[in-house]
Amino acid sequence: MHENHRVVSRGPWPAPLRAATGLALLLVALPAQEPAGQGSSTPPRLAHPAVILKDDAGRNVLESGEPVSTRRTCGGDCHDYDFIANSFHFQQGKAEMDPALLASHGVPAFNSSPGMFGKFSIIPNRQLTHSGITDPSDADMSQPEWLTKCGGCHTGGGISEYDLRGQRFLAPGAAPAGALDPSYTIRDREKGQVVAWDWAKSGIAEADCFLCHVPKASRAARKKEMGAGNFRWANTATLAESGIVTVNATGGFSYNRAAFTPEGSVKAGALNLSDPALENCAMCHGFTARNATAIQAIQHADILRGTEKAGWIYNGAKISDTLSPKIVGKESMTYPWDAHAAKGLICIDCHFSPNNPGRMLQEDPKKNLRYKPVAEDLAVYLKRPDHNFARGNIPPETVNVTRHNTMRACGDCHDAEKGHAFLPYKSRHFQALACQTCHIPAVHFWAYRSDDWGFLMDTGTSRVTFRGIDGSIVDPESDVTGYLPAYIPAPDKNNHMQIRPTNLITGVYWFDRAKNRPVFTWQVQQALFEQRPAEGEWKYRAGVVKAFADKDGIIDIPQAVYDTPEKIALVQGLLRQYSGVTDSELRIEVAPWAMSHSIVGKGQAIRECTACHSSQSMLHRPMDLNTFLPKNVPVIYRGRKIDVVNFEGKEPAFDNRVLLQSFYIIGNSRSPWVEWFGWLSVASAALFSILHGILRLLKGRL
Amino acid sequence: MTPAAPPLYTLHERIWHWLQAALMGLLIVSGLAIHYPDRLRFLGSMAHAITWHAWLGAFLIINAFLGAFYHLTAEKYHHFLPRMDDFTGAAVRQARFYLYGIFKGERHPLETDPRRKLNPLQKVTYLVLLNILIPSQIVTGVLMWGADRWPNVFDRVGGLWLLGPAHTLGTYLFLAFLIGHLYLATTGPTPGALLRAMVTGSSGNGQAGAE
Repeated sequence: MHENHRVVSRGPWPAPLRAATGLALLLVALPAQEPAGQGSSTPPRLAHPAVILKDDAGRNVLESGEPVSTRRTCGGDCHDYDFIANSFHFQQGKAEMDPALLASHGVPAFNSSPGMFGKFSIIPNRQLTHSGITDPSDADMSQPEWLTKCGGCHTGGGISEYDLRGQRFLAPGAAPAGALDPSYTIRDREKGQVVAWDWAKSGIAEADCFLCHVPKASRAARKKEMGAGNFRWANTATLAESGIVTVNATGGFSYNRAAFTPEGSVKAGALNLSDPALENCAMCHGFTARNATAIQAIQHADILRGTEKAGWIYNGAKISDTLSPKIVGKESMTYPWDAHAAKGLICIDCHFSPNNPGRMLQEDPKKNLRYKPVAEDLAVYLKRPDHNFARGNIPPETVNVTRHNTMRACGDCHDAEKGHAFLPYKSRHFQALACQTCHIPAVHFWAYRSDDWGFLMDTGTSRVTFRGIDGSIVDPESDVTGYLPAYIPAPDKNNHMQIRPTNLITGVYWFDRAKNRPVFTWQVQQALFEQRPAEGEWKYRAGVVKAFADKDGIIDIPQAVYDTPEKIALVQGLLRQYSGVTDSELRIEVAPWAMSHSIVGKGQAIRECTACHSSQSMLHRPMDLNTFLPKNVPVIYRGRKIDVVNFEGKEPAFDNRVLLQSFYIIGNSRSPWVEWFGWLSVASAALFSILHGILRLLKGRL
Repeated sequence: MTPAAPPLYTLHERIWHWLQAALMGLLIVSGLAIHYPDRLRFLGSMAHAITWHAWLGAFLIINAFLGAFYHLTAEKYHHFLPRMDDFTGAAVRQARFYLYGIFKGERHPLETDPRRKLNPLQKVTYLVLLNILIPSQIVTGVLMWGADRWPNVFDRVGGLWLLGPAHTLGTYLFLAFLIGHLYLATTGPTPGALLRAMVTGSSGNGQAGAE
């Protein structure tokens, strides 16, 4: 009933209302194949026709025993597979590998795309190798390695079907362009050499429709197969929890005949195909649930991305009801983790398919139309659903740059001008502040704080710290204290700069000035370590131990820091000697990860003027960055050298004065010369009056 | 029987003056509450201080226009115009009085009467006040008040980055003027004579308005 209510109550958009009403009527008329489970966030849906799972030869997998081919199963006569797989969710930037596009969006040229498949991020300090390289030292993360590392979430299709030159892997004529072609090679971790990748052995991972459209999809099983380089079976593995396939004695997959009808199609209840539910999106994007009292932000050894980066929790349950982890002060937090989640909104309410007639925005700003009465035809949508899902644009994301600000934003549902009676100058406030600034007053979960790749620990990896937690993130007894966000300006939909809340993740890393790109992690490893076993501790070079270790010869976290210029110079020398990096520079990167979830309602939102309009404005609140930041090295903020680190306090802290200098905040901003001249005038008048009066008094003339 | 001397300040002028003084004082106070919202909370929230400030500003503008109307139509504006035949000499004499003569008990260089109320230094001060400072405060204040109503105009003239500091500077100058004005109001024949004149209309000794 609740779900039906959601559909019919959606009403500000006439055409969507019509479509939704029609869908609701159909729901009443046509019994669904399987009722949504109690507590499931699966949206109401039409019964999906019976599905025959086919292999890549078009045979029923029950007969062949081969992996499922989504191209054959979902594509073909029903859905336009190639149209769908050409969208961002499957390309991840592969379709945006255009230097001009990067330049026009301010993305540094060392990235090969603005998307996840191609851009550099301080987490995890890896880069997709550019195509056309001729020097092995230019190779970092090849396409196959990217798929093994990132393919658990990134749902196949373009990135795992086609090479960087557009040839379908294993197709006749598909061949590497040289021995270093990043689509056909991988760097051997122990030997450090670039070796060939056997695509015939790994197979291709087609677009994984199941991961998002099957309620019982298993990302864990998919991730395992992708990580093992068994791409061919990854999509089939996603069905591991649906009862359709089971793991057989050899570790492979066998189809479970009980999940199929006598005619060979999958029983409806097994697949239960639907629009993506909260649980589907949650598997990759961050902790999301309708009403969960246990927050499991780490699943299958992965920290869920949105939670990891900013600490947001999209959950309708009250914070005070949280059983795990230990949320400090939760007793007074008798409100939901997210107000929208508590109201029953699901991800695709705002991040919808742009041509879904039931959800699409029907405005056309270019033609000054707030409502465009021509909606996409439902049949066309079902054939070719646009998988470039509507999205916003919050820092630092550059992904899907050509489709920023396409989502249903706050103002598309809320009429802020009609509320906020307490607030003077509403328009100015709404122009200067993102809604999130007041409606995310605090983050009650932990998030990344720093990821330091400048000096590696004896595991060969970075040193990571978290904010908002006392103790380990995997210890359920750790106190989760949460944190107060920092504030940064970022362009809104109309390109006005707006102040919005953010987490900050600070990284230290090496930059190769000669090649104008970050130094690859394997190069830093080569410089610092003389032995790099696949398992166990790595062994630092003697010079490194001598310079960095304590008196016991151990390099622990407090020692693994660049606190003197000599240590920086030492590693620069090692990079030159062992890694061929002739001109290296240690850099700090302060990366904002703004947030739009963990929204609170008006009862908890910031209403106090002096929160911003005071000498202690929260907008200038310093945020601790990383206890061990090197001094006198360049600070990079959003791709540019901007010094946003203040070393004057106890710990290095974020200093956003230079970022917010275009905002004059009454009660906080001061024009120094006005204050000096003004108070000098007042003081002069007062001093003159006092001295003159005293003199008159002494002369008896008063 | 000698007819009663006309008052130095008419009832209208006195009401106008005190009303303007009260409004300016309250505007300075509420303005400081906006400028220092975390330290000066006597008006409640900053939003309340802004509301008070806006209404007080509106009343001041009305009063200022009424004053301008009165001085123009009653031809009283000549009080504010410096006499150029001996402006420099009179200004020097006035300055010398404040810096020297007042300590020696010398008589005030200007004998005031209803036709001649202001000394040369006052005239210059009021010319600046009435023609630059008050209009500037009104214009910058109205533009800031109208930031939501006329955002394009507001942004075109420089927005808060220009208007905020300009309005703040004007406030400091007003405050400095007010301190000087209050002190110099004690420099009459007796410390309270000039204040009494502005209350009753006459200082009672034939010399008023020397400030």
